[in-house]
Amino acid sequence: MVLAFLAMGLSLQAQSVEDALKPVTRTYAFTNATIIPQPGQQVAGATIVVKDGLIQAMGTNVSVPADAKVIDADSMFIYAGFIDGLSNAGVPRPEREENGPNRGRRSDGVNPGDPPRELAGVTPEKQVRGELKHDEKSVSDLRELGFTAAHVVPRGRMLPGKGSIILLAGESGEDMLLAEGVSQFAQFSSAPGVFPATVIGVMAKFTELYKQTEQMQRHMEAYAKNPKGMDRPERNEALEALVPVVNGELPVFFMAPDVKSMYRVMRMQDDLGFDVVMTGVKEAWHVVDQLDGKNIPVIVSLELPDPPKEKKKKEGEEEAMDDEMKMLQKRASERMTEFESQAATLAKAGIAFGFSTMEASANDIRENLRRMIKNGLTEEQALASLTTNPALMLGVSNLMGTLEEGKMGNLLVTDGNYFEEGSNVRFVMADGHLFEYEAKKAAAKGDPNASAKVGGTWAYTVDVPGQTAEGTLTLTQEGGEITGQLSNSQAPEPTDIENAALEGNTLTFAAPIAMGGQSITLQFTIVINGDEMEGTVSVGEFGTFDVEGYREGSPE
Amino acid sequence: MKYSILFALLLFFGVSLRAQTQTGSMLIKNGTVHTVTNGTLENADVLVVDGKIQEIGTNLRAPRGAEEIDATGMHVMPGIIDAHSHIAIDAVNEATNPVTAEVWVGDALDPLDVSIYRALAGGVTSSHAMHGSANAIGGECETIKHRYGTYNPNDLRMEGAPRTIKFALGENPMRVHGEGRGIQPATRMGVEQVIRKAFAEAEMYLKAKQKYETARQNGDNTVMPPTFNKRMETLSAILEGDIIIHCHSYRADEIYMLMQVCKDFGVEKLCFQHTNEGFKVAPELAEFGAGASVFADWWAYKFEVYYSTAYNAAILTENGVTTSINSDSGELIRHLYHEAAKTQRYGGLTDEQALSLITINPAKQLGIDDRVGSLEKGKDADIAIFSAHPLSIYAIPMKTIVDGVVYFDREEDPADMRLDVDPEEVMPAFFQDIDDHDHENCMQGTYMTFEELFRG
Repeated sequence: MVLAFLAMGLSLQAQSVEDALKPVTRTYAFTNATIIPQPGQQVAGATIVVKDGLIQAMGTNVSVPADAKVIDADSMFIYAGFIDGLSNAGVPRPEREENGPNRGRRSDGVNPGDPPRELAGVTPEKQVRGELKHDEKSVSDLRELGFTAAHVVPRGRMLPGKGSIILLAGESGEDMLLAEGVSQFAQFSSAPGVFPATVIGVMAKFTELYKQTEQMQRHMEAYAKNPKGMDRPERNEALEALVPVVNGELPVFFMAPDVKSMYRVMRMQDDLGFDVVMTGVKEAWHVVDQLDGKNIPVIVSLELPDPPKEKKKKEGEEEAMDDEMKMLQKRASERMTEFESQAATLAKAGIAFGFSTMEASANDIRENLRRMIKNGLTEEQALASLTTNPALMLGVSNLMGTLEEGKMGNLLVTDGNYFEEGSNVRFVMADGHLFEYEAKKAAAKGDPNASAKVGGTWAYTVDVPGQTAEGTLTLTQEGGEITGQLSNSQAPEPTDIENAALEGNTLTFAAPIAMGGQSITLQFTIVINGDEMEGTVSVGEFGTFDVEGYREGSPE
Repeated sequence: MKYSILFALLLFFGVSLRAQTQTGSMLIKNGTVHTVTNGTLENADVLVVDGKIQEIGTNLRAPRGAEEIDATGMHVMPGIIDAHSHIAIDAVNEATNPVTAEVWVGDALDPLDVSIYRALAGGVTSSHAMHGSANAIGGECETIKHRYGTYNPNDLRMEGAPRTIKFALGENPMRVHGEGRGIQPATRMGVEQVIRKAFAEAEMYLKAKQKYETARQNGDNTVMPPTFNKRMETLSAILEGDIIIHCHSYRADEIYMLMQVCKDFGVEKLCFQHTNEGFKVAPELAEFGAGASVFADWWAYKFEVYYSTAYNAAILTENGVTTSINSDSGELIRHLYHEAAKTQRYGGLTDEQALSLITINPAKQLGIDDRVGSLEKGKDADIAIFSAHPLSIYAIPMKTIVDGVVYFDREEDPADMRLDVDPEEVMPAFFQDIDDHDHENCMQGTYMTFEELFRG
């Protein structure tokens, strides 16, 4: 990926398009907008005023304060800022994985059967506070999607630590912190080469820690009552951190993406009796009745399996697929539908859930929401799962989740329905801090009936956030065949283009770039009008970027 | 309704099964019924009501609504039981310590493992999902019933089956811990000491608990119980006779050694696994009352397994040892009836003796012989129906029934029985899950170098 960028003359230090506005004033007014104060409600032609981080006034008959920065939000939509039900936003990845897969085989002084608890992943007392960074990319990525608050947990293994609620804006990590210790985070993550190295080790360890905590608490209580003649209770930070869990005062957000994990969590909960929130779920359709029956709150993962890549069929190519492959494809696609309709299935069963961005790529989140909506989730339910539901689950519904006077200045402004393709997030306000975003250009549409001459030398530019790359494209058209070469300032050695095809005035071609033993294909789709071209280039999983260009010279 | 049809419907509608296990009623008519414990009946019927065998006889009548299976010309036998397997679990070895009695593979059952269906297709209705052999004392195992089609791991558990635990002698624990980490056990002697030490610690743990209980009863509230230790909890349950030891073993000297250790600690419930040199200590095994679960003819895959014979099962049987034949493999499990038949070629066992090796004997070793392992009134309706005598090379498994429900039916055997379909990838089912059940499954999950693999 990195290589592809280099090849296109782009550096990886590309700046994000967002840029926090300097706070000349801390009063803002968005005027003449369609405001969605909460799921299912809508007020047209309304104004919302946010002063010093709080919503001061909202409605159709609101006077704008004199010191307000006025943002004309005509034809725009304003939603309450989204709340991420669980993620690691703002928590940097450890710089280096300290423990290779062969740990324990080396004579590094660690007994793999009894490793230090940090290595085993038992750090239930840990908080994100000391680690939080306000300028992490994960924070700005989520904010750009409209998230203004998140329930974040430390990174780690089976018991990484406690969850905190943060606002997705601030001048420092600590500045973002709203509430600490709101949850206990747990997952079936084993430790490499040391105990617990398997899921059965993790479950045994969890049970043991739980029972030891109960035991320690009984000991401490007895000792507090009358210590005479009694051994002093041993101090153990990890166990002490779990006391609120065994007392049912702190819910365990347990990562359970797949159906087996969900059943494992439910059985452990039956045995031990802690409060649980089933978190990051992807296959909950199997256990809707059980979740409902046990009243277990749910946080749904915003990750979905990748949609199947549509293969371009060449003309005259026979669909060579035997019955077995057809049957297998049918089962794969039925399975895909189950994943895509998980959220709708839960909603239909009356289970209110929040969403987690953990494991989900920021680039996919809006598309995944659209896929869930296409498969039966209503927009109202989707919005509730992003706002009111997580606010309730996390106990912050008096602060956020809806747009109301007195609540925090957490909102997003879009130039269309958020859940429809093509709409853009134009402003996000988190904790009263305003962020502005540019609208993405609508993709140029080709005309299948038009014709275009492609031959010649074209100068092109590619827009990547914060930067523009330039280069030259030389095309030759002979009969129906198009050949050509692509070059740019960083890679003066031109690359032959492949699979060039012209349909109407839409030109598609691929430019494979081999660098460092790796091959990356740039896929261009360009609409040609006279001597001008406009379109996109997709760079593998990195994303799709706008391309513009003009003809410098005609073919000889 | 036949289970396979139900299964197809469930797949079609994308609905999962309820968490409760199903039972069924049926009348299997006019077959050759191998009861295993009460002889073989020609042209006999087996009546199943609500998952239990109600009657075995002739001219029985099906209750209203119950399915009738015409077994004319076919052979009806108890569902086959595999006393050593690693199918349907997500973790095999917690190989981080020479003693890991605190873990339990039953925590990580995998109902989506298509190997369960493949086992059913070989007439196998129950198996013993075991921890691996990386540690001298491994984790607890789980006895499962092959109720394929559920997404709920709990549905696989054979409710009420006794607890069992995996032990391992010899080269595997020596290699993982001795060679791999330079700790005890580096030798066969070391393995014995690891086990003795663990039992001795468990005795102390039990004493500390008893001291606490006694103090409590005497009104002394100053004494606290020993810190809860899951490993010690399991080990003390072994000492108290609540858990059956199933020990990976090859050499006669080590087999004899573990019997001595168990005698010293008063442990009586013991079954050896693999037991390749069991024939050398068959009278001693019989005297102790220890079981032996063996391969029919599989050896020479590592140094300690060279001295072996295909007569092993027959010699053990004739010496009065409760003997079973196991698979330790997701592939071999499909033809355990062939494996049992080999004891007739090598050792001349009778039909009843040979069938016992894969039915009532493994049931005894797992402590479930009051429920399964033979066709008897009141037992679970776990039944396999074959096209010919199950010990014949021409026998084909036709139907496999668990709790009176048909889970495998050769006549209705869909091409794709996967439960866990990858939505992102379409590939022939044949290529999926075939790497799960390699040879020497016991060492799954341990880290091995290339060189070590050759010694595996």
